[in-house]
Amino acid sequence: MGLITEKLPLYLDPVPGSSWFLGKLDEVINWSRANSLWPLTFGTSCCAIEVMMAAGASRHDVARFGAEVARPSPRQADLLVVAGTIVKRMAPRLRTLYEQMAEPRYVIATGSCVISGGPFIYHSYSTLRGLDGVVPVDVYVPGCPPRPEAYFYGILTLQKLIKEGETVRRPGERRKPVLAALPAGMTVDQIQEEMRSLLVTEKNSGDRRNG
Amino acid sequence: MDNEKLLAALKTLEPQISVRENADRLAVTVPCERLGAFMSKLKLENALRFDILYAHTAIDWVAENRFELIYILSSLEHGHSLMVCVSIPRDAPVAPSVSSIWRIAEWQEREVYDMFGVLYRDHPDLRRLLLEDDWQGFPLRKDYKDDFMLEKPQ
Repeated sequence: MGLITEKLPLYLDPVPGSSWFLGKLDEVINWSRANSLWPLTFGTSCCAIEVMMAAGASRHDVARFGAEVARPSPRQADLLVVAGTIVKRMAPRLRTLYEQMAEPRYVIATGSCVISGGPFIYHSYSTLRGLDGVVPVDVYVPGCPPRPEAYFYGILTLQKLIKEGETVRRPGERRKPVLAALPAGMTVDQIQEEMRSLLVTEKNSGDRRNG
Repeated sequence: MDNEKLLAALKTLEPQISVRENADRLAVTVPCERLGAFMSKLKLENALRFDILYAHTAIDWVAENRFELIYILSSLEHGHSLMVCVSIPRDAPVAPSVSSIWRIAEWQEREVYDMFGVLYRDHPDLRRLLLEDDWQGFPLRKDYKDDFMLEKPQ
């Protein structure tokens, strides 16, 4: 990878048509990176239940987006999912894990605790008010905790970010952090309606099974 | 043993106890100077046999100027559980340690010391457990303040 990103643009730039070639190379590299995000799951509290366990389990199935290979080791991961409250004593450990990850590395901050301190913002002697002082964050996923759908939207947002990047010419470039909320126009009623229809089909299939 | 029988047995063991209201299980309040003897009887008495100390914590009643120490006990043998409460003065928070009766109390008392600053007599190793060793103050006290903490705007 280092050979391609460091040496290749230098040699290819004088050649006519090279920018087209480099663009295609970008596309291929970005496509493979975006679709095989291996998350290092850093779950310290309730967000981990939604984001790591429910999203990984069969109903929501994060494998559809290529991010199901949860790694317990930072050296094999390229996406740090911080799910849960970060306290003062945890912050240096989190920073260490981030430093141990290989480039390119991305960070998703899920839940209000990581974004701003959440319910612990006042009168807390230990909770950090926001993760951005510890590690640079790419995508924020709001919620307390966010539903797996919101986490998927965060992953899709990150994939979009990665696919827009110029990997070969500007490899280490960081983009501005993004807030991944549900699309505009989506209402709570629609979500509840969808959940209700899901539950109804589940109930019917359960009835079929039983009788 | 159900709650009435348990309470009767406890009364014969220690006449100075009183029942604490508003608890999810049988809860009794013991005077602080009777705590050590009462607890070891709870562990050793055959009919009671409270062999597990589930939890130990404290409540800071700052208006009444006292700490209330809570011990939640359970018996695997008989299947009953009990809450023991002790009040100690807030300006001289000293209580007898029960770590010689239940080993687990050693860490639980360290945590209560860490958060509330309750001092335990005869504790083998009373250090901070969760916070840094050089931490100043006891953060779960109601009047605790530090530079990091943010006050809620009115």
